[in-house]
Amino acid sequence: MLTKGDKYLILSIIIISVLSLVYVKNLAVNHGKKYISVQVNGEEVKRIFFDDKIIGKTYPIETEYGYNLIEVADGKVRVIEADCPDQLDVKQGYISKVGEVIVCLPNRLVIEIKGIHDERDIDYMSH
Amino acid sequence: MGGIKRLIFLSLLVSIGLGLSVIESMMPVSFVAPGAKLGLSNIVILITLVIFGFKDALTVGILKSIVLTLITGGVISFIYSLSGYIVSCILMYFIYRNFSNIFSLIGVSIFGALGHNFAQVLVASLMMKNFRIFSYLPLLLLTGLFTGYFVGLASMYISRNLQKTFNNIFYTKG
Repeated sequence: MLTKGDKYLILSIIIISVLSLVYVKNLAVNHGKKYISVQVNGEEVKRIFFDDKIIGKTYPIETEYGYNLIEVADGKVRVIEADCPDQLDVKQGYISKVGEVIVCLPNRLVIEIKGIHDERDIDYMSH
Repeated sequence: MGGIKRLIFLSLLVSIGLGLSVIESMMPVSFVAPGAKLGLSNIVILITLVIFGFKDALTVGILKSIVLTLITGGVISFIYSLSGYIVSCILMYFIYRNFSNIFSLIGVSIFGALGHNFAQVLVASLMMKNFRIFSYLPLLLLTGLFTGYFVGLASMYISRNLQKTFNNIFYTKG
């Protein structure tokens, strides 16, 4: 039923698409151009670019409104300490996608993940 | 082949393709990759290609796309499916005509699926002016491999039997 050409065709397509899948995945990881924007009272006070070297690092954010400690992981960020009463920002956990935010209203702190080129996600329209 | 009989058979093939398209739109295959489809109606195109030839296969594909647009109302998906059909039809004809000693109908069908996927991704990226959509292509190719395999297998069985029937109808009675 299957000829030799068919088998070679199937094999080569599997190899090509798996290789390019791996390539695309690497591309997305290495050039997932996004950064953490820390804003207090509407102004950006700190920009943290994701990097392999800063995984596990913590950054204290001390302002006149309060104190927060944020921790950076592999492509994601969370608040681990805060002096605000409700601790909502700590409970929220990690954010990783462009456009996601952690807000600590009492401390007027906004942690947002931004894309460097500010690209919108591809909205798949129809097939 | 006789005019009216041929016309009737081609329109039957178009309507069978429409039915398959409507049925396959109810099957949620899109979880594999956005835009992934079973491509059941490709069976019809492939059979038309084998039995009637290239021109009629192209006509059936275009007619099917137009009428499917009238059914579903998706004008944007019309552009995608039309470009996909035209490219896959040309590719399948080319392979079937020149390399049928190397590839069976399964290989021809897989080539058709590849052409279909490539054309759709190309049109999508041109329309949205965003070539990152091509990162979908490997996943679509993999799914196209499997769907193309089964489409080819089905067309192989069907065309083997239909060829005899069609020859009886068209050549014995005139």
